[in-house]
Amino acid sequence: MRVLVVDDSPSFRGLAKQLLARAGFAVVGEAVDAGTALRETERLRPDALLLDIVLPDRSGLDVAQELARWRNRPRVVLTSSRGRSDFGDSFEWPPGCSFLPKHELTVARLRDALRPQ
Amino acid sequence: MTARTFRLAAYGLAALTLGLWMVDIVRQLQLGVADFALSFYAVAGVAAVVVAVAVARQAGRERMAVLIAVWLVISVLDDLPVDWPVSRTAATVWMLAHGLAPAAYGLMVLAYPSGRLRAPGARLLVALAAFVGLVWMGAPLLFFRPGSCSACAPRVSSLFYTGRTFDYLAVGQASWTAFIVIGVFFVALLVRRLRAAPRGARVTLLPLGLAVFFTAAEFVAQRVVWLGGWQSPGTALDWIDRLNALVLPLAIFVGLAAIRRRRGPLGDLVVELDQAHPGEVGRALARTLGDPTLQLALWLPERGAFVDEAGVPVDTSAIPEGRAVTTIGPRGDPLAALVHDERLLGQRSLLEAAGSAARLALENTRLQAELLAQLAELRASRARIVGAADAERRRLERDLHDGAQQRLLALGLALQLLRDGNGDPELLAQAEAELQTALRELRDLARGIHPTILSEQGLGPAVRSLGDRAPVPVQVEAVDERYPASVETTAYFVIAEALANISKHSQARSAVVSFGRQNGKLVVDVADDGRGGAVARPGGGLQGLSDRVAAAGGTLTIASDSDAGTVLHAEVPCDS
Repeated sequence: MRVLVVDDSPSFRGLAKQLLARAGFAVVGEAVDAGTALRETERLRPDALLLDIVLPDRSGLDVAQELARWRNRPRVVLTSSRGRSDFGDSFEWPPGCSFLPKHELTVARLRDALRPQ
Repeated sequence: MTARTFRLAAYGLAALTLGLWMVDIVRQLQLGVADFALSFYAVAGVAAVVVAVAVARQAGRERMAVLIAVWLVISVLDDLPVDWPVSRTAATVWMLAHGLAPAAYGLMVLAYPSGRLRAPGARLLVALAAFVGLVWMGAPLLFFRPGSCSACAPRVSSLFYTGRTFDYLAVGQASWTAFIVIGVFFVALLVRRLRAAPRGARVTLLPLGLAVFFTAAEFVAQRVVWLGGWQSPGTALDWIDRLNALVLPLAIFVGLAAIRRRRGPLGDLVVELDQAHPGEVGRALARTLGDPTLQLALWLPERGAFVDEAGVPVDTSAIPEGRAVTTIGPRGDPLAALVHDERLLGQRSLLEAAGSAARLALENTRLQAELLAQLAELRASRARIVGAADAERRRLERDLHDGAQQRLLALGLALQLLRDGNGDPELLAQAEAELQTALRELRDLARGIHPTILSEQGLGPAVRSLGDRAPVPVQVEAVDERYPASVETTAYFVIAEALANISKHSQARSAVVSFGRQNGKLVVDVADDGRGGAVARPGGGLQGLSDRVAAAGGTLTIASDSDAGTVLHAEVPCDS
């Protein structure tokens, strides 16, 4: 499974790459903002995105909304340094997305979230 | 009772007169007694009411208008039910009105022009006329039986009829004699007033004097005709009698107009200002100067700005085409300014005189406007302080989230990788770096909330530490001394914000911070040698500082000319 990592913090991207590699995923690319993320998804056609919600140009949620309209869309795991409780139970996540807070990012959780359904 | 109450009373009575007149005219038409005189009578009546209303509209003449209107009501009632065949109420009202008509007439004439009966002699005369009138009509009120006297109206008894008979002819004759004596004194009083009046005031008394002469002449003629038993001149005199209702109010109106002309528009202004509430001074000036668009702006020296009567700032520098500004008060220390139609400039002397006349009222108005402006400013700054506090909380949340929290998350991930894998030295170094950065960011953040060194060691060491961290050399000139905690905090944030601005915007090479106690105040100066041009913009950092200093009871001023550097000067009271 090929994954694109989207986050504006280089240190987080580095660590996430190592974590994903441990979990058995291939990180095919990185993006620092929403615009780059969409372009890289178009170009690299990854199977999944690990997508930070707070990005410098637009929200990661916007990116997920946009991808939801694509045919053959990649799976999206949204992530954030905010926890689930910050968004609340009634928060409407973009279709086909799962959410994994950064402090819950572990090899096992990543495998669960990205496992083909 | 206020002028407004009197004015409304005069309007009400005038309307009542008009209504009664209509009733009377309709009655005369129904009874078939209407003749050519009726149309004349209607015109005179309406004109009299119009005159009464016109008097009521003049500032300071409301009482006079009430007296005219009272007399008109009594006159029309006096005329109303003379040959009304059935109503006992109408008969009662008529008798009372008939008895009181001379007193009402005397009151109106003697109270001219102020509407107040001041002279004791005049008061006595009016009271006597009312008393004699009540005795005179009291007899028929109690004892009049229809049919007892063929010549006299009305045709029914009053509501107070006792059922007994009493030959009251002697009472009537005595009353008449009394009225004639009162009348002579009345005329004598008027003549004395006319003679005692300075020549300039005589012209204002003359119309009323002529009208009274007219009434008196008509009265004497009536008597003579009546005693002589002649018929034809009697009808003509009835016509003239009707004229009375118009002649008197008209004479009063003309006299008042003469007074107004003599004192000019400024006199009206003085009368009006005497009664005006603060907040109405602008309107009074607009009326006097005949410019409804006139706007009053009051100078508040403390804030160096013009405000309107509600305390809202007025920009007198941006004056549209066709408008002009006239300042009131000494040059350099104005009291107020009038923004008006520029065509008024042709009457500059009137403008200036009006300004002088309104001086006292303007000073009161200015005080009130100042209070209102202060209140508005207080509300606004309170809102800004709350807003700034909210913004500060948002900033703290963002700083924590973007800074330390991200570092700690990364540290968590690194530790996870280290636990699961080999002890990769590069990863270990990254984990340590993340931890160090997180600690530093937390320290900076805590210092931003409240620096420990400030509470522990005071303003001097705290400011020196600020200076050490600033990117430009900062010289601190101060004696180490402790101030109340809130004063130290306010001063610290003023200096911190000033130094932050210097490093961000000023392109300065160095800065000097000095502070110390002066006259119970902590006085702070922060000066730089940068490019200047700093201003306090709404929502900006300097505005926030200004609010903060104001909340502590102090003041903040900024001197920042282009290319001359910036000096921030703050004074915070510290009574200890």
